[in-house]
Amino acid sequence: MKSNTVAVGLGVLGIIFLIVAALYALGVLQLFASTTSGPHYKHAILFVVLAVASFVGANFARPKTV
Amino acid sequence: MGLLQGATELFPVSSLGHAVLIPSLLHWKFKQADPSFVPFLVLLHLGTAGALLILYRAQWVAIIRGFFTAAFRGQIQNDNERLAMLLLVGTIPAAILGVFLETRIKSLFASPYEAAGFLIANGILMLAFELLRRRAERRSTLQEEEFAQAERISFRAAALVGACQALAFLPGISRSGVTIGGGLLAGLRHQEAARFSFLLATPIILGAGLVEVPQLFSGGVPVGEYLAGMVLAGIAAYASARFLLRYFRSGRLDPYGYYCIAAGLASLALLRFNL
Repeated sequence: MKSNTVAVGLGVLGIIFLIVAALYALGVLQLFASTTSGPHYKHAILFVVLAVASFVGANFARPKTV
Repeated sequence: MGLLQGATELFPVSSLGHAVLIPSLLHWKFKQADPSFVPFLVLLHLGTAGALLILYRAQWVAIIRGFFTAAFRGQIQNDNERLAMLLLVGTIPAAILGVFLETRIKSLFASPYEAAGFLIANGILMLAFELLRRRAERRSTLQEEEFAQAERISFRAAALVGACQALAFLPGISRSGVTIGGGLLAGLRHQEAARFSFLLATPIILGAGLVEVPQLFSGGVPVGEYLAGMVLAGIAAYASARFLLRYFRSGRLDPYGYYCIAAGLASLALLRFNL
């Protein structure tokens, strides 16, 4: 599915995932974590991976000019 | 424990199920609440992941290179690039489910009785995968070698196979078993399903291990003994992977299915009569 809208949407999603990853790494976000304090690096790494996947998806969705 | 974990992690017989059952049956005294127990498991997993990285070292270099090339180009142009993207797609569902559900599921089903029950279920699953595969072979009249290579699997199938890994949080259900079975249903030949399963397992096992590494530096961890366990796990995993890749050239999942059912039933009997 090649579309600028999809590409921009995935790019924005990637940025949101990066912010969530930072919040987990800093211990600000405790949502769905096994403990209620401290940093959650597992969650942070997961959201970094999701961000990378979103950016890759955005690049794939971007219409290419040959 | 190192040999046991390394061998059973890749065989479709559930390492977690055996790790719960065997110490209980042999009356080994493991304090799973002990702070040094998690680092021990972490090192065993790192040993297994290391063995898989060594086994597929050339392929991983090509996959990583393919990932960056395809990601920056925004287009897939060869098999290594496609495999890299398939592994990314397959890893994401397992990683999401692992981070959010693993601890909760494992704590719910930690008893040897449940592990034995799930081991029987794992055996039935293996037999069911083979039954469905034989049906597909009859319907399409394809021979084993005419089924697809890992690189040809669809992205949707890769995501489903990846999500199947979450079943392995239940002690007794095998990660490699469900991913090999999922690969078979997606139309891969047996050896390719095993290769895809091992490649898919590596980032998850390695990632989960590396995240826990800081715990190794807490006090009271007998580093020397644990490192020996890691090396043994790595050697056992390497030998298991080599054996399985050779076995699946012509072998099928059925023997492991029968083994799991027999081992589960025997374990239930031994636990019931406290032998």
